[in-house]
Amino acid sequence: TGGHTTEILRLLSCLSESYSPRHYILADSDNMSEVKIRSFEQKRSETFSNSQFTFHRIPRSREVRQSWTSSVVTTVYSIFYSFPLTYKLKPDLILCNGPGTCVPVCISALLLGLLGIKRTIIVYVESICRVETLSLSGKILYYFSDYFIVQWPDLKEKYPKSVYLGRIV
Amino acid sequence: FRFKDSLAEDLRSADLVISHAGAGSCLETLEEGKPLIVVTNEKLMDNHQLELAKQLHRDGHVLCCNCSTLVETLESMDLSTLKPFPPGQPEKFALFLDGVVGFQ
Repeated sequence: TGGHTTEILRLLSCLSESYSPRHYILADSDNMSEVKIRSFEQKRSETFSNSQFTFHRIPRSREVRQSWTSSVVTTVYSIFYSFPLTYKLKPDLILCNGPGTCVPVCISALLLGLLGIKRTIIVYVESICRVETLSLSGKILYYFSDYFIVQWPDLKEKYPKSVYLGRIV
Repeated sequence: FRFKDSLAEDLRSADLVISHAGAGSCLETLEEGKPLIVVTNEKLMDNHQLELAKQLHRDGHVLCCNCSTLVETLESMDLSTLKPFPPGQPEKFALFLDGVVGFQ
């Protein structure tokens, strides 16, 4: 959604051609992101000849400020939806930056790993808006991601297993 | 106007921006190199939105005030005290990721 999409596209901006094909997973209720992503990919195809990307939609796992108990229910529902998708794609790498959408996908990837089907590297980049505290997705994925990147030194201190590269968006 | 797809044009022609503390608004403005006054309303906003505004203020990139102090801020402000906001470095992320994935 919105800010997350803008940030993730900036993260992608310097990646080489080797990061292909790209699968963008969006919440079904997200209208703006597809437009932004297409525009990004369009610009990218001017430099890189091989531009393979696809869009996938999954149910939104959680509305802003949704209660804890109902969030668990909707997230579990999203996992049932995203597991078959993740199984089909068997990604080598998952890059995410915080929207609720990413949690079911990462959990699905973890399950694939546990079942010995595919080992996916999970890289989480916390939003630049998070200076002192982590988002809910961040709090969960701090323990389950392979690399957890923060953009402010305060967070690096509080979450020592995180990676601090400075501001990257 | 109520909503526009992009404020980029308006931003470019502005001399001063007064905005709420939304991250997108703050960062877009600072990246255009425009002086920014952030107006915060601690009662309305959820705490995490304030985090970025506070940090930007601490680092000297923006002026901060609330609705009631806006006028006096405008009257007494010294925009030359604002420090330029260096852009983020996605190349560092690319380098890091290449290392993680094994592309060298």
